[in-house]
Amino acid sequence: MCAFYPRTDELPGLEDTGIDAFLVQFRRETTSLMWLGVLAGTFVYFVSPLITIFVPLPAFLLTKRLRDKHAFNLGAHPIYLVRQTAMLVKLPAGLCWGRHPDVRAKFALPPLPPDPDTWRTT
Amino acid sequence: MTHVSYRAKGEPPYEADVDYVVIGSGAGGAAAASTLSRAGASVAIVEAGAWRDPNDYPNSTYGSFRDLMDDWGAQLAMGRAIWPIVQARTMGGTTVINSAICVRTPADVFDRWERESGIGGTASGRGALRDRVWAHQDAIERELSVEEVPVAARGRSNELAFLGAQKAGFPDSHYMRRYVKGCIGSGQCLQGCRALKKQSTNITLVPEVEAKGLVLSSAPVEKIVIDGRRATGVRGHFVHPRTRARGASFHVRAKKAVLVAASVTHTPVLLMASGVKNRALGKGFRAHPGTGVFGCYADPVDQNVGATQGWASTGFREHPGLKLETLAIPLELVASRFSGGGIELMKRISEYRHVAMWCHAVRAESVGSISRNFFSGKPQVSYGLDHADMLKFREGMYLLAKQHVAAGAKELITGIAGMPYKMQPNEIEKLKDAPLDPRAYIAILSHLFGGAVMGSNPNESVTDGRGRVHGYEGLVVCDAAVIPSNLGVNPQHTIMGLARTFAEDLLEA
Repeated sequence: MCAFYPRTDELPGLEDTGIDAFLVQFRRETTSLMWLGVLAGTFVYFVSPLITIFVPLPAFLLTKRLRDKHAFNLGAHPIYLVRQTAMLVKLPAGLCWGRHPDVRAKFALPPLPPDPDTWRTT
Repeated sequence: MTHVSYRAKGEPPYEADVDYVVIGSGAGGAAAASTLSRAGASVAIVEAGAWRDPNDYPNSTYGSFRDLMDDWGAQLAMGRAIWPIVQARTMGGTTVINSAICVRTPADVFDRWERESGIGGTASGRGALRDRVWAHQDAIERELSVEEVPVAARGRSNELAFLGAQKAGFPDSHYMRRYVKGCIGSGQCLQGCRALKKQSTNITLVPEVEAKGLVLSSAPVEKIVIDGRRATGVRGHFVHPRTRARGASFHVRAKKAVLVAASVTHTPVLLMASGVKNRALGKGFRAHPGTGVFGCYADPVDQNVGATQGWASTGFREHPGLKLETLAIPLELVASRFSGGGIELMKRISEYRHVAMWCHAVRAESVGSISRNFFSGKPQVSYGLDHADMLKFREGMYLLAKQHVAAGAKELITGIAGMPYKMQPNEIEKLKDAPLDPRAYIAILSHLFGGAVMGSNPNESVTDGRGRVHGYEGLVVCDAAVIPSNLGVNPQHTIMGLARTFAEDLLEA
């Protein structure tokens, strides 16, 4: 996930936005289908460097530069279904990254108060 | 005045008797229920989602997916391309998360229904359905304070769109009329309007029904009870809004009728699960597939300041068959619209303040179907666009690009796979040769129709022109599932007008 939203000079990366805690929350709250999608997308990310950058190694063995190139090529891959697997990871990761106050501040957006997670009971 | 929310397993089954049970509390369900309630009938609204007031609305897009969307927004239409379907599951239905756009049903829609489906022209003469729906729409506009987006709430994206459309010579360019009272442009339509300005049905019509009747929330109906050929009530189990734990059972009996307004995808599946036999059930699914083009501007646009959707043109509805409108995409979702990943994606996102996204919705003639998933029992949508619709789709991309250029965009981002990420203003003619493969586009299905379409022929339709299911008594469909054609405009007003008409027919019967 972090490879899709790396830290740059301008913006915080996913690793700066509490992704570990987010994943715990996401796994607990989301549907099994959504969670399965994240796992499938992550799996494809790890095993697909051969079809994105033509390197026969799993993604975790790539150098930082190659990992970045792999993440880009996966998200812009000419084969539709391959491209869609990147979406399975980019979407939930974006939900974490884009709600973080440090990220929002970079875009002149106010911090978001916590979601109340409440409803009418009477 | 009764609201019954989640009851845990082990609590006694909840039972009630009313004249009418209405399944669903969105545009169709709430409009029908309020009509019946005002006439003095006892009415129960049974809603699958939780009842969240504006103070309960989420602030983040994550919260919106979790608390307001059906199945976390993971409902998909499967065809050559896989496109998500936008539907809510909360008290108020999709009226909570939409942009509350109010467009009167065009006259040609009724003509087509009469010509192709044989409805609308019976009883009191030609045009009767049209006149009745329009009369209800007049009343709804007054009740829900429909107004044009106020100047102070427009925001730069909507103003640029208006300017671009004017310069490009687009017909019928206008600031939208919406069910919003005194919009302050907080840009939170999609998360639910915490400012209490959007007149979604959970804060307007549903409380009105609750004051005189019964409302069940977190209560997904599993089955409509049908005795012989007569619908007599609904059964299901409460579901906890957070844990999704199955709770106590409920059974609400209807002395007069059950009205189904569970959404285009859920209504046909619920009818199937209840044993309704009809060969047209699940057929005739249609939608407005759409996507957006980003314009990059020299000065910040800050698309989330101002109304989420504030400008539209219906001038291309007839030809080529499109609606154009603005849409502010939340920061959390923007990366999903930009291709790639890694440092290059971060560079792309860093332009967020300077981009405006304007969208098209295709008045597609392609037809799909809805079935019931064998394992989960959930709706399964099969849908794809044919060549003619893809031509419209592509033309929409060109028109949006042209509008951005006219508004002063320095560059364009189309998101079309196989084309350059960015396009210069002098390159937009290339869009006329953009791919016609739907897989090249990141699109969504925003407005849905059909699945339990109305018509005079019971072999080709599920309901008659009054929403009554053919061959059954006391069973009425009153949501967009009955709509047999693509409207080419936002459907909420049509759904509400039809639902009120059907409810009125029930009272007269």
